[in-house]
Amino acid sequence: MAGISYFDCNVSIGRPKSGVYRPCPTAGELLAEMDWVGVDQALVHHALMRGQSPVVGNQVLVEEIAGEERLVGSWAILPPQTRELPQGEDFFTAMAQAGVRALWAFPMEHRYLLNRLTFGPFLDQVAERRIPLFIPRNAGGTDPVATWQLVSQLLAEYPKLTLVLAAHGPWGEDRYFRPLLERYPRFYLDISRYELDGGLGELVSLYGAERLLYGSNFPANAMGGPRMMLARAEISEEARRAIAGDNLRRLLQEVQL
Amino acid sequence: MIDSPIAREFLETGRCQSCPIIDMHAHYGPFSGIYMPNHTPEQMLATLDRCGVELIVSSGHTALEDVVRGNAEMLSITERYPGRWYAYLVYNPHYPAEGQAQLEEYDRHPTLVGLKFHPSMHAYPLTGEAYRPALEFAAARRLIVLTHTWGDSPYNGPEHLAQVAERYPEVTFLAGHSCHGEFQKCMEVARKYPNVYLELTAAYAVRGLIEQMVETVGAHKIVFGCDLPWFDPHYAIGCVVMAHISDGARRAILRENALRILEGRRRV
Ligand SMILES: [Zn+2]
Repeated sequence: MAGISYFDCNVSIGRPKSGVYRPCPTAGELLAEMDWVGVDQALVHHALMRGQSPVVGNQVLVEEIAGEERLVGSWAILPPQTRELPQGEDFFTAMAQAGVRALWAFPMEHRYLLNRLTFGPFLDQVAERRIPLFIPRNAGGTDPVATWQLVSQLLAEYPKLTLVLAAHGPWGEDRYFRPLLERYPRFYLDISRYELDGGLGELVSLYGAERLLYGSNFPANAMGGPRMMLARAEISEEARRAIAGDNLRRLLQEVQL
Repeated sequence: MIDSPIAREFLETGRCQSCPIIDMHAHYGPFSGIYMPNHTPEQMLATLDRCGVELIVSSGHTALEDVVRGNAEMLSITERYPGRWYAYLVYNPHYPAEGQAQLEEYDRHPTLVGLKFHPSMHAYPLTGEAYRPALEFAAARRLIVLTHTWGDSPYNGPEHLAQVAERYPEVTFLAGHSCHGEFQKCMEVARKYPNVYLELTAAYAVRGLIEQMVETVGAHKIVFGCDLPWFDPHYAIGCVVMAHISDGARRAILRENALRILEGRRRV
């Protein structure tokens, strides 16, 4: 696998209050695990961005990964109406200053509706600036139907949004997401829990390798599983290289802040 | 990077010559809530070859729904692959007459090594009276029982597992998914009862769990499985071989424990 550089799109650090069997509190521990399994870079968010508030967590994330060249930061968003985060242009300027190039939305934890009514022109800006927006599997609730309905609705309202569904669960959810891959060229999947035997090969042959991003959902999940799965998937070396890291690198390069 | 020769070999070739895998928790066929690209026998065999899996033990998806049709189907498929593919007979407590007839009919079937219970799916507790005939049958023949287990379940949590393990010491219980979500209690059960093993399907994905199991229960009490044709064995293998454990523990989990459990129970 020489020459393939892995860039994990979905890892977090911090001390979540519950729900994670063995958390990863620090960037140092994250980097050690990346070294262990052979992963070069990671797009990171912080547990406080989700479990507490982006007002606190976004800043903590920046501090925790400062100076770590292999780690790229991401921030969480909140509805503009409550004015808790910098508004409009200021938000994107702050992202640029902090070296942050991707966003997360946690509508369940932060109790809002992720839709056009709430986010209006802000998400138009996110789409235009090609900033990837990540949402977790529970974005619409614990029932997968609710999350896929949310994704379906959000993409109908913002068809140009670069949207990544993270860690969608070990049950193959192809019957939900394949129509979305067909319709929306800026919709992406993090493959961290896409464990379906033969699944990756089929998705690559149907939709191309561009739509898939390597991820681990660490530390909730072990890094070794997706790392071995992608290393051995029955796809071309070109597709493997794209999924492993080049797709995410391309997405982050396209971001205009 | 990881210094294990086993991990390196899997990463580089997809297989490990010195450690072919024994998969104790597999299925077969399509299933209601999931699309599976590779569910035919030929496709499953190709996956086993690709991943260096020497042998699997399956319960059919059809059998989980319809024991009469499904168990017969599963056994007839395994017969075609002697030494490579073995079967669990699914016992559904809602169909005691059919179950009894099948236990008698397939008693000496060459590829049968045990029974499969799925108390959650069948919405009936593992400790319930209706499982008794099957458990007595398994005890008399010292069979393996792979039972689905899950945390916080009214049907198959760690307490249910402990009760049947205590009552039937002759049966070797594999705790499918290791009571996912109530791992600590499941580990206590596996430590207390010599006839209870932790099975890794889905549980392997939880970071740090395999290390904890090895430390508190011991690598000798853990067996490998990945619900094939659901999950790519390489995902599960990656979780085991890249866990922070010794190569000795990796071998025990991937192969040796299962071989020991199957010893004397295989007729072909
Ligand atoms: Zn299963």
